[in-house]
Amino acid sequence: MLVLQVLTNGILLGGLYAVVALGLALVWGVLDIINLAHGAFIMLGGYLTYYLFTGLGLDPFASLPLVMLAMFVLGYLIQWGLLNFLVRAPMFNMLLVTFGIDVVLTYLAQIMFSADLRTIRPAYAGSNFTVGGVTVPWTNLLAFVVALLLTGLLALFLQRQRWGRAIRATAQNLGAARLHGVPPRFAYALTFGIGAALAGGAGTLYGMVAQLTPYVGVPLTAKSFAIAIIGGLDNPLGVIVGGLVLGLAEAFGSLWLGPTYRDAVSLGLLVLVLIVRPTGILGRAS
Amino acid sequence: MALLEVKKMNAGYGDADVLRDVDLHVEEGEIVAVVGSNGAGKTTLLRALSGVIASRGEVRFAGRDAAGMAPDEAFGRGLVQVPEGRQLFDRMTVQDNLRMGAFRRRDAAAVRRDFQRMYELFPVLGERRNQLAGSMSGGEQQMAAMARGLMAAPRLLMVDEMSLGLAPVIVERLLEVLTDIQKQGVTVLLVEQDVHSALSVADRGYVLERGRVALTGPARELLDDPRVKEAYLGL
Ligand SMILES: Nc1ncnc2c1ncn2[C@@H]1O[C@H](COP(=O)(O)OP(=O)(O)OP(=O)(O)O)[C@@H](O)[C@H]1O
Ligand SMILES: [Mg+2]
Repeated sequence: MLVLQVLTNGILLGGLYAVVALGLALVWGVLDIINLAHGAFIMLGGYLTYYLFTGLGLDPFASLPLVMLAMFVLGYLIQWGLLNFLVRAPMFNMLLVTFGIDVVLTYLAQIMFSADLRTIRPAYAGSNFTVGGVTVPWTNLLAFVVALLLTGLLALFLQRQRWGRAIRATAQNLGAARLHGVPPRFAYALTFGIGAALAGGAGTLYGMVAQLTPYVGVPLTAKSFAIAIIGGLDNPLGVIVGGLVLGLAEAFGSLWLGPTYRDAVSLGLLVLVLIVRPTGILGRAS
Repeated sequence: MALLEVKKMNAGYGDADVLRDVDLHVEEGEIVAVVGSNGAGKTTLLRALSGVIASRGEVRFAGRDAAGMAPDEAFGRGLVQVPEGRQLFDRMTVQDNLRMGAFRRRDAAAVRRDFQRMYELFPVLGERRNQLAGSMSGGEQQMAAMARGLMAAPRLLMVDEMSLGLAPVIVERLLEVLTDIQKQGVTVLLVEQDVHSALSVADRGYVLERGRVALTGPARELLDDPRVKEAYLGL
């Protein structure tokens, strides 16, 4: 029974992790930017949801689209006003700039939100149901479903929509995309905006199942990185696999090694994958 | 009035100019060939016209100033390039590649008709519409690149080195397609090393040598020109 419970926890966590990594994988795949501020975007999304809930009484699931929209605008502006001037710059410069954004956002969060732990707890938080001896918290289950939904929607957008195709085209062959009428600066800003929106949505979900501090960003960026490496960058559905691998590894790692080793598990997994299969489990990494 | 008119175009990479004072014009409905040996500057000319690289000089397209456009703007105006080396979106299906050709078009019904037309012109593309472009043969890829360009409903289709590495029968087929689409009102600027093929379908031609226009005239006359025969046709 314990194993089944841990399995369930791992899968639910894995779904959440998928959406946590989704934006990072998208931006990495299309823009070739490893956005070190990705976790900070998630953190911001979490706080935004928190204040919409405590301030306006808005249910976190209802605020999700609002948060995503706000984060889209922020991401779009950051790409348009700053990163577009650096696109195709050496990897190191990009890392430095996005690291800078991360530091600034974390610092601002610390000033504005204080370092106190926050959780978003609507009335239904803590309620759960039991099937076959396995306890499933409603919030985690809903967060899991929404996470998969967002991932599926992104996949559909990239596959079916006109601008989704243009984004894929830009990722595959920038020169040819320009020759076929895609304005690269706009495609980039759109992509980065979508990445930030997904991070914001992930923050909403994360804030419901875990505690928020201004410092959650860095470990979330690291996990997203691991998931993107495992799942590959070609297909957004890859992050579901990556998320599940990480979620299950953490759940069982906590069970067998103790909860203190939870983060060590994800780092260990990352190192392992980088050594064994640097192109990710599912394929091309970049 | 000419569809495309270029006067004293200079363009190159960094400080070094490759094109020097190129004068060229293309009339509505023509097929115009630009021929020359490796490194003559043919691709550079198309890149400059598409705005991929900067150029100096006068460019007018469809009656408007067209110097210094960005590539997506040039495309939007109907100046469409089928680039050297095909440059397909390798990990997208054939159909999605063609859809990218129609990226700027809003006339959904006409786009659907054009899909039909492309699959009639190139039946193999219809059969393989769901195959990834990168996994097709060189000839099929060239057809896909042409079809992608045509899906844009171009006013001027600029085709760079389409015969490269293809079997003569396929080159024949592609040349037929060019004359077909000419009849349907598309103007073509054809860049080729295969001088004979290019001049045999073209109305007029330009011979580029080290970035300058060395010769120009009706395609028939160029084919018979002793200088062309000696330098390019090995006769
Ligand atoms: N990206 C580049 N950077 C610097 N020089 C370049 C670049 N591309 C081409 N050149 C130079 O410009 C000159 C003309 O090249 P271009 O590609 O226009 O020739 P071409 O006529 O298309 O030849 P080919 O028939 O081999 O395709 C060559 O000397 C080439 O070395
Ligand atoms: Mg060339």
